[in-house]
Amino acid sequence: MNGLRIALAATLVLGPGMAALAQDAGTLDKDKAARSAAKPAYSPYVGRNFPTRPLFGDTHLHTSFSFDAGAFGARLTPRDAYRFARGEEIDASSGQKAKLSRPLDFLVVADHSDNMGFFPDLLAGKPELLADPTGRRWHDMIHSGKGAEAAIEIIVAFSQGKFPKALIYAPGTSAYRSAWQETIKAAEAYNDAGRFTALIGYEWTSNTGGNNLHRNVIFRGNGTQAGLVEPFTTFPPAGSDNPVDLWKWMAATAEKTGSEVLAIAHNGNLSNGLMFPTVEAFGKKLDRQYVETRARWERLYEVTQTKGDGESHPVLSPNDEFAAFEKWDKGNLDGSVAKTRDMLEFEYARSALKNGLRLEAQLGTNPYKFGLIGSSDAHTGLAAMEEENFFGKTTPQEPSAERMTKTFFANAKAGVTVMDWEVSSSGYAAVWATENTREAIFDAMKRRETYATTGPRMVVRFFGGWDFERSDANNRLPAAIGYTKGVPMGGELSPALQGKAPTFLVAALKDPIGANLDRIQIVKGWVDKSGAVQEKVHDVVWANADTRKPGANGKVPPVGTTVDLANATWTNTIGAPELIMTWTDPDFDPALRAFYYARVLEIPTPRWTAYDAKRFGVKPLPGTTMMLQERAYTSPIWYSPAK
Amino acid sequence: MTRVVPKLKALLREPMVQFLAAGAGLFLLFQWGGPPAGEPGRIVVSASQIEHLTVGFTRMRQRPPTESELGGLIDDHVREEIAAREARRLGLDRDDTLIRRRLRQKLEFLVEDDGQTASPSDAELQAWLDAHPDAFRRDPDVAFRHVLVSRARRGRAAEAEAQALLTSLTALGPGADLSGLGDPLRLLPDEVELTPRRDVAALFGETFADRVLGLPPGRWAGPVESGYGVHLVLVTQRTPGRLPALDAVREQVVRDVLGARRAQRLEAMYQRLLERHLVIVERPIPPRAARAATR
Repeated sequence: MNGLRIALAATLVLGPGMAALAQDAGTLDKDKAARSAAKPAYSPYVGRNFPTRPLFGDTHLHTSFSFDAGAFGARLTPRDAYRFARGEEIDASSGQKAKLSRPLDFLVVADHSDNMGFFPDLLAGKPELLADPTGRRWHDMIHSGKGAEAAIEIIVAFSQGKFPKALIYAPGTSAYRSAWQETIKAAEAYNDAGRFTALIGYEWTSNTGGNNLHRNVIFRGNGTQAGLVEPFTTFPPAGSDNPVDLWKWMAATAEKTGSEVLAIAHNGNLSNGLMFPTVEAFGKKLDRQYVETRARWERLYEVTQTKGDGESHPVLSPNDEFAAFEKWDKGNLDGSVAKTRDMLEFEYARSALKNGLRLEAQLGTNPYKFGLIGSSDAHTGLAAMEEENFFGKTTPQEPSAERMTKTFFANAKAGVTVMDWEVSSSGYAAVWATENTREAIFDAMKRRETYATTGPRMVVRFFGGWDFERSDANNRLPAAIGYTKGVPMGGELSPALQGKAPTFLVAALKDPIGANLDRIQIVKGWVDKSGAVQEKVHDVVWANADTRKPGANGKVPPVGTTVDLANATWTNTIGAPELIMTWTDPDFDPALRAFYYARVLEIPTPRWTAYDAKRFGVKPLPGTTMMLQERAYTSPIWYSPAK
Repeated sequence: MTRVVPKLKALLREPMVQFLAAGAGLFLLFQWGGPPAGEPGRIVVSASQIEHLTVGFTRMRQRPPTESELGGLIDDHVREEIAAREARRLGLDRDDTLIRRRLRQKLEFLVEDDGQTASPSDAELQAWLDAHPDAFRRDPDVAFRHVLVSRARRGRAAEAEAQALLTSLTALGPGADLSGLGDPLRLLPDEVELTPRRDVAALFGETFADRVLGLPPGRWAGPVESGYGVHLVLVTQRTPGRLPALDAVREQVVRDVLGARRAQRLEAMYQRLLERHLVIVERPIPPRAARAATR
């Protein structure tokens, strides 16, 4: 990572190579340069080293430590998951070999907290425990190969109330070894600062009535800190299914451990209207405390993953021809209750971002001011989300001739059926961290300098400010100009200057082994004068612009396709390897709250179902989606009117 | 019958018989329903169990439970105990995939952990490091300049254009001014400082990284292929991948040595258990063989 940093300070004290910058700054003479070097810079990013590439990872992976993953047949442990993510070849639970095209930069093994519970410990030879005669005897049994017998004795003693007091109370030791401790140990073992980051975390799996309110919780700190607490579960009275209680746990944990934590919700599409409430939650009216607390702890949202894409929905965004992508909109998580239209508004990210602006006006804080990431939610221990290398969501969905023709789950009473082919090979989190460490990655997540991808590793930059000009798109270092003149994705625009509209600099570079890009769009959401939420999708820059002009409806025509489904191939003869542009909001009203985020689309490529059809010679079921346009969604940049 | 009964009674009074009967009884009891917590029909929530519930709650919530919360925990514990007993009595724990897999996991945890106690010696660590150099070798670093000739822009002419550009660049030398040359991409730096191989691969692709690492420094070379087109590359600096000393990678080597031990222990446990059992696998006779057998 070190070599790819570019010292911003050096570029500002101009040298001969920086022809483009000198052009923008006008004529520079020695005195001017001396004066600007002497003054402290206005922009907070001056002098800051910034990375040239984002870090790619998965914040939501399950292993055999999750009850449901194990039930499905997953045999891989957190250690196996880290080895795979680092780029090693391993044996998947289905017995076949698996390897990523290239390593990921970070991983969070986030197994379900409810199943990480207690069971009698294997005494690790700690002196306090050995001082107790029973403890000593068990220790010796274990170390002479009689561990199983010792365990039974321990269980019996415990259930008969004969467990030695000393062994429960020994300070600094937990008499109960749990999957949580093993999870922490695995993360510590594979965390390799500067090369690969293993963040500690778990999934809080609130699921009452089958309505998904899951959050992944991630620690900034190390194993010693995380080991001071137990993950929050959903069983009362210790646990709860209410996010408000999870936030209380987070506050207490941060206090107790000295480690910051954050929570990332996902699958609003399976919450049946409960994920992004605007009036009441769990029987309590939304109030200042709710919105402030939510905003404090939930800085990101996992907008795309194997159980569907959650950016927006055709019903909510009828003018967005890309909103129908990988939709899971039939019901809740277990299919027990079917979806009704009125639920949708409270389930999708774009809608929540809009409603958040309204709630800010109402209650003083925007509870839905979240950045965006993607992750897998794979229950296989394998963060394998590339279309041509997709290892499924569950072990029965690992590559096989049967995996695209079976039913995933069906609830006849509710009329909800989800087929295996509907599972998405998606996604990953891209983080603009200053280095590959826990702290830097966590901090980038906290400031929302992240974006979601549906699998490919395109490089995306998005900056907002008041002074970007067309010539900035020709700059040799868009990030340098971006950080100097504006704020990056996830940031907040400074108050409007008289007569000015927000300007943006957006750039995307294709995945080095991936498909060309179709276009970059900027999605604007705002609250209008009457207090109603609005949205508009703008095509900002697109490939093959000489032959593609916006039509009568203002829309840029489709980029076309080079996909050969029978052979599961495509060619980069359409689209462009890189797109970059500046854009100014043509409809800006400084009195109205707004957000802007960038959406980058690739040219069409085969979906995992097409690779399967070719490799296994299987005929897909009628209606199976066989190709797709992969995409990235950046975290928004927000604008608030001056108070 | 009358003469048998006194004899039976005498027998039953024998301590040895009583002992054997008790043992058999316990054996049957344990086989049947697992260790009972108190007499059947009686549930005791002991002080240490209450302590355990309290400790668990406190570790999760960072505060002890209130009276009513503790009451709730105890109630739930009792219900769980009753339900678990009843479920076992009904044989619900048999043939339950989830329970079996969880039991297997717990057993494997126990056995795996045995390996945690003795730290590997330096000699053992060094031997592992020597035997697995590729797993620990540090990435080589490379610094380079490059000019891209875009396939998207030039199509089939890209190679020829690249060759021509190579000639010009060679003439201009290592310090050539690159502005205006080729088809630069804004998000791909054209001057790359000393960087580990994996970061070059992440940005340019694996094949590009491998090729560049093989180029002799100090002169323009190419064309080198990437997903973006063909590049002319000048390597300015290179440091070879080196095998680190044990101290630099001690943690990772310990991890791998303990990991191998863990796997060995697990395998040994399965072998030990297998030795105690006779395994009979009933396989259906394939139709062809069955027909042959009846001829």
